[in-house]
Amino acid sequence: MLKKRRELLKAGAAALTVPAVFGGVMLPRSAQAQLCRATGIRSPGTEPDSPPVTPYTEPLFVPDALQPINPAQLATPPDPNRHQRFDEFRPQKYYEQRITEGVWNYHSQLSALTPAQAGAPAGTGSLAWLYNGSTPGETLVARYGEPVFVRRHNLLPTSDKVEMPIGFPAISTHLHNAHTASESDGYPMDFAVPGQFWDHHYAMMYARNNPDEALASLWYHDHMIDFTSTNVYAGLSGMAIFYDHIDSGNESDSNESALRLPGNLRFGGAPGSANGYDISLLLHDVRFTQNGNPTYNIFDTDGHLGDLITVNRKVQPYLNVERRKYRFRIYDGGPSRFYELALSDDSKFIVISNDGNLLEEPVEASTLVMGPANRHDVIIDFSRYSPGSTVEILNIMEQINGQGPTGRRLEGPERMKVMQFRIIDSNVVDNSRIPDFLRKLPAINLHEVVAEREWVFDHDMGLWTVNGSFMDPSIISAAPKQGTAEIWNFVNAGSSWAHPCHVHFEEFQVLEWNGKKPTGVLRARKDVATLGPNDHVKVFYRFDDFVGRYVIHCHNNVHEDNAMMLRWDITPG
Amino acid sequence: MKNRRAFLASAALAMPTAAMAATGAKVLASPAAIKDCPRAVGGKTAQRFPQVIVQDQHKKKAWFYEELIHNKLVLVNFTSVQGEQHYPIVNNLVKVQAMLAERLGKDVHMYTITTAPHQDSPEKLKALADAQGAQWKFLTGQPEDVREILRAFGVHGAIHGLSWIGNEKTGRWLSKASRQHPLYIAEAVARLSTGEHYKPFLVDMHSV
Repeated sequence: MLKKRRELLKAGAAALTVPAVFGGVMLPRSAQAQLCRATGIRSPGTEPDSPPVTPYTEPLFVPDALQPINPAQLATPPDPNRHQRFDEFRPQKYYEQRITEGVWNYHSQLSALTPAQAGAPAGTGSLAWLYNGSTPGETLVARYGEPVFVRRHNLLPTSDKVEMPIGFPAISTHLHNAHTASESDGYPMDFAVPGQFWDHHYAMMYARNNPDEALASLWYHDHMIDFTSTNVYAGLSGMAIFYDHIDSGNESDSNESALRLPGNLRFGGAPGSANGYDISLLLHDVRFTQNGNPTYNIFDTDGHLGDLITVNRKVQPYLNVERRKYRFRIYDGGPSRFYELALSDDSKFIVISNDGNLLEEPVEASTLVMGPANRHDVIIDFSRYSPGSTVEILNIMEQINGQGPTGRRLEGPERMKVMQFRIIDSNVVDNSRIPDFLRKLPAINLHEVVAEREWVFDHDMGLWTVNGSFMDPSIISAAPKQGTAEIWNFVNAGSSWAHPCHVHFEEFQVLEWNGKKPTGVLRARKDVATLGPNDHVKVFYRFDDFVGRYVIHCHNNVHEDNAMMLRWDITPG
Repeated sequence: MKNRRAFLASAALAMPTAAMAATGAKVLASPAAIKDCPRAVGGKTAQRFPQVIVQDQHKKKAWFYEELIHNKLVLVNFTSVQGEQHYPIVNNLVKVQAMLAERLGKDVHMYTITTAPHQDSPEKLKALADAQGAQWKFLTGQPEDVREILRAFGVHGAIHGLSWIGNEKTGRWLSKASRQHPLYIAEAVARLSTGEHYKPFLVDMHSV
């Protein structure tokens, strides 16, 4: 019987007699994906392309600021005993986020292809996991000195009922780079299953109570063990902005300590309108099925590449801008794509942050290189453009698989469309400034160093490894003492791939990158060291303020989910 | 059986029909220099798998996806008789087997796929399994067929340290190192289970 079935199958296969892809008639992409290819020439082309869409037809989605609630509304009151230093940093602002499955309009031409799904009628949107009904979720806008409490409810369907074909409906939300106690950090084992919630307490204290340690552009995203990449890809990401008296968000601030960077504390706004002047741009590259839903090959452990760049979960959107300065907080949301972003007219812009932290001095640049989870704030002055003109952001970094960029720059029409700015006619007052000096870097005192460690990122026997090990939440790979400083070395043992190495809780300052002192944008506090092939980065850390469990991992989230993560703890000093 | 046969026949034909319809391409008289490889059909991630037959250590043959993966909760790992000499994984997976207890072979299925189909006959795989008390299926087959399976899982070389745990009823898959502590492999099975066997964790590692 089996033999017969096999013969039958062979016969069916023979009838294929595939027209040649090279030179003959092109197969549609859906059919191409079914062709065998030697593994040595794998490329994103082995996945079907997304359906064609017209670029620059969707207005950029700018999430609103998350709105505070009255804590009396919380069905279960916060439990101070679950949080370190809760009484010392009593929350002043309370928020709730509900995580649900629904649909999202990534692009009207994709939405038009979608079936009735997740309770929504056909043609209304792609499957998505949402925070309070949107992706990205609403922006958490917080101020130093005003502690925050966020309760996040997992209202996703259970795994036997969920419609999103990827991801797992358990959530752990990491506020990326926040100086957060372990129990609120989104540790991968601190997950909530459908019907449960998790409470997050953000103390909104400067690390070491030092304003030089202020964070500015952060993002929250899912960190579920084994499912970070797919859960984030499904929609679980959003932005956070921290302000203080220096970076106050108000370009008209009369306080003399204020930098008056572009911004008027306005977020959201009607689609297509000119928004506020401080706008976050979260990049995720997504691939869509012929049904307009996100697709992902879980078995490709090198990484996932989408063929359409989304900004704030809109495919190749446009933004109307006034002829003035804007601050853009640009985030590489991953999972695996590296970018070199440039303006289509090759003009320059001003970089003011690295990994979301203000530099000491602004740096003029014509391109911006970013790896997954890297964040840069830039200022673009549109007063140089005439009304009615447009300028695009393009990605010129070639990447053909999830391992990392090829090192080649895309040229001409190969360049990937990211988004478009449309300069509108307006008479605006621009009170914003680009100061010569932004924020001081904290001093590095090497005499405080009590230990030096090395973290080697490698690939062996099909496993992504750190120091030859893989994620085991019961193994503590390092246990620095609270109140001490250490030198950590991040080493990429791979000669052809890249690893954006991310450490939770504390930030580092680069001492040496491949033996050289950091200059320019690299003179900064960072939380992601984007390691190129064979890179060796030596950094300085201090460990203060909270204790508990944290992780170090590759922020190519596909590598992370395939165990490229280790637990480390801060222990009481 | 008849139904399944009809199902396979229609599946094999579905792709080229669609392709021809879309392009109006003519069928070439001689096969193109590209190997075709029919994909499995019917399940959540069927299209990721080749439509091939495998053989276990007892010489029992089966369609890889349709009979071993489709609608099942599975653990899939990779080694070879020779690879075990250098990087043993079976001894760790035997501990997982003990934790799965009576679920193994009933609602949880475990497969070791040889990374060396040229060398690893059913007899050799049986000896490997028996020596360690492994009760699950050790799979080999036509080398080109096994290679297609290895490729579907991104396996290169004779030694491969990554296992996959998947519930093809829900389409949820995750990977664990094959030498991961067996508790975490068993925990992944519990987490991906549905119904009475579902457990979000085996050891609660949540903060307070």
